[in-house]
Amino acid sequence: MKGIIFTEFLDLVEDKFGIEMVDTIISQSNLKSEGIYTAIGTYNFSEMLQLLQNLSNNTNISIDDLLLVYAEHFFSVIETSYPGLLATYKDPIEMLSSIENHIHVEVRKIYPEAKLPTFIVESKTEDSLEMIYKSSRAMHHFGLGLMNKTFEHFNSTATIVLEKIKEDGTEVRFIINKN
Amino acid sequence: MSFKKIEILERTLERERKARKAAEKILEEKSLELYNTSITLKKVNQQLENLLNEKTIQLQGVFENINDAYVVMDLFGNVLRMNDVAETLFGYDIGKESLNVTDLIYPEDYSYAMSSYKKLKEKGSFLDYTARIITKNNSVRWVQINSSIIYNKNKTPIGAQGVVRDITEIKILEEQKETILKELKNSNQELQEYAHIVSHDLKSPLRSINALISWIKSDNEGKLDDITLQNFDLIDTTLETMEKLISNILEYSSAGADTQKKEEVDLNKVLQNLKKVLFIPENIKISVLTPLPTIQGDFTKFQQLFQNFISNAIKFCDKENGIVEIDCREESKFYQFSIKDNGIGIEQKYHDKIFEVFHSLQKREDSSGIGLSIVKKIIDLYEGEIWLESQLNKGTTFYFTIKKN
Repeated sequence: MKGIIFTEFLDLVEDKFGIEMVDTIISQSNLKSEGIYTAIGTYNFSEMLQLLQNLSNNTNISIDDLLLVYAEHFFSVIETSYPGLLATYKDPIEMLSSIENHIHVEVRKIYPEAKLPTFIVESKTEDSLEMIYKSSRAMHHFGLGLMNKTFEHFNSTATIVLEKIKEDGTEVRFIINKN
Repeated sequence: MSFKKIEILERTLERERKARKAAEKILEEKSLELYNTSITLKKVNQQLENLLNEKTIQLQGVFENINDAYVVMDLFGNVLRMNDVAETLFGYDIGKESLNVTDLIYPEDYSYAMSSYKKLKEKGSFLDYTARIITKNNSVRWVQINSSIIYNKNKTPIGAQGVVRDITEIKILEEQKETILKELKNSNQELQEYAHIVSHDLKSPLRSINALISWIKSDNEGKLDDITLQNFDLIDTTLETMEKLISNILEYSSAGADTQKKEEVDLNKVLQNLKKVLFIPENIKISVLTPLPTIQGDFTKFQQLFQNFISNAIKFCDKENGIVEIDCREESKFYQFSIKDNGIGIEQKYHDKIFEVFHSLQKREDSSGIGLSIVKKIIDLYEGEIWLESQLNKGTTFYFTIKKN
């Protein structure tokens, strides 16, 4: 998993819960990296799971909710770092439906070894979109947060329903309806 | 600040420092990688540039050095570039004036030119377009053009190139050749007729002389002395020789004429026929060593051919038991025949001369010196060759070839 996911995550934790919380979750986790992250490095995904789990334990906030907040924060990173990518879209439905065929293609150019989730478009209209999310990471709420922010970026809102196809969250259906 | 807080900050600082170092290391590796890649790219680029340069020089060389006119035009026929040969041929200087290829089309060839242009657009090229053009100073030249469309890297046509060969001289030569061939045919025909008439006309006074002499002889029977009678006999013989000469000339003049006759000729039959027709003395044995092929041609000419060889062999036989052997060998492109005898032989110095007309090595009344020249003519007609091997007093072998059809 790319280092920027870790550094941004820890920045957010520090911002919301203080530097002690960062230190706590790092000490409580068994990290190969010893909690030393740089945006340009690559680290094991299991480290993120441990950090999330320990943050959830210490704050009594569910992992899904943590991911949601983190995703909303992460969208601003995309906005600052890759404004060009966002500028190629005029519409949130267009942008979300092209994750697989455009955005991830671009991501792979920068991070060839990135392990990305799969988004399969099941149906699409001007105002609605149904997609299946598949990933062994089960980070669907990270996706949900990014989707919320996508609509916000284009000055609109949407109702997004999340249906778990597999109980462990590795396969989830997103039903998106523009308001 | 509490001790715990200091510890936390220290740990945070330590992590930050290590992260920075890790980042620096990664960046250093990346920049080395980039540096190496850029060096490789530069090298490849240089190689490509060299290659491009080389190709450009080669192309420029071709453009300037080909003997034909070379023209590059856009899709509307406007000439963009042409070499010096083209400038000389067309008489236009595109540096000073614009030129469209349609300006060059000879009016009568217009529809042919348009259909060729259509083919060029549809198929991407055409070959051997042969037509006339009008140059700037209004002279007409025959040209042969090969042309192809030039595509850009997206396979979109952007123009066309053509190699234009000036074939005016060749055209003129071709026409001249046609005329000369026609004339030659006519004069050959005339010559043959002439020979025919001449020999016919020459024969009739001979017959008159013959008749006159026999009248003189019968009118003066008993009055002429022996010497006079002997001289009259000599006149008779001379007349006979003369008659034979004239007949042979006639035969010779028609031998080389291509009768265009193409029939299947079984040479075995030719030989069987000859054995019946020719007078073969008892002491001479004619044998055919191998079955002969069947070839395409004129039966009479093949008969003439073998007749001349065999009668020569018979004529010049001085042995008690004369042998004439006919043999044949098949090669990939021709048949090789041989006629071997054990006669008087021919001296080396005469080997070329014997094929010349009227060249008889022996003054004999039955030999006019035309036979072998007829043979040579017939063999020439069938694109063959003739040669011989001979030993004086031992015999001669003639070899000749006949081209397979």
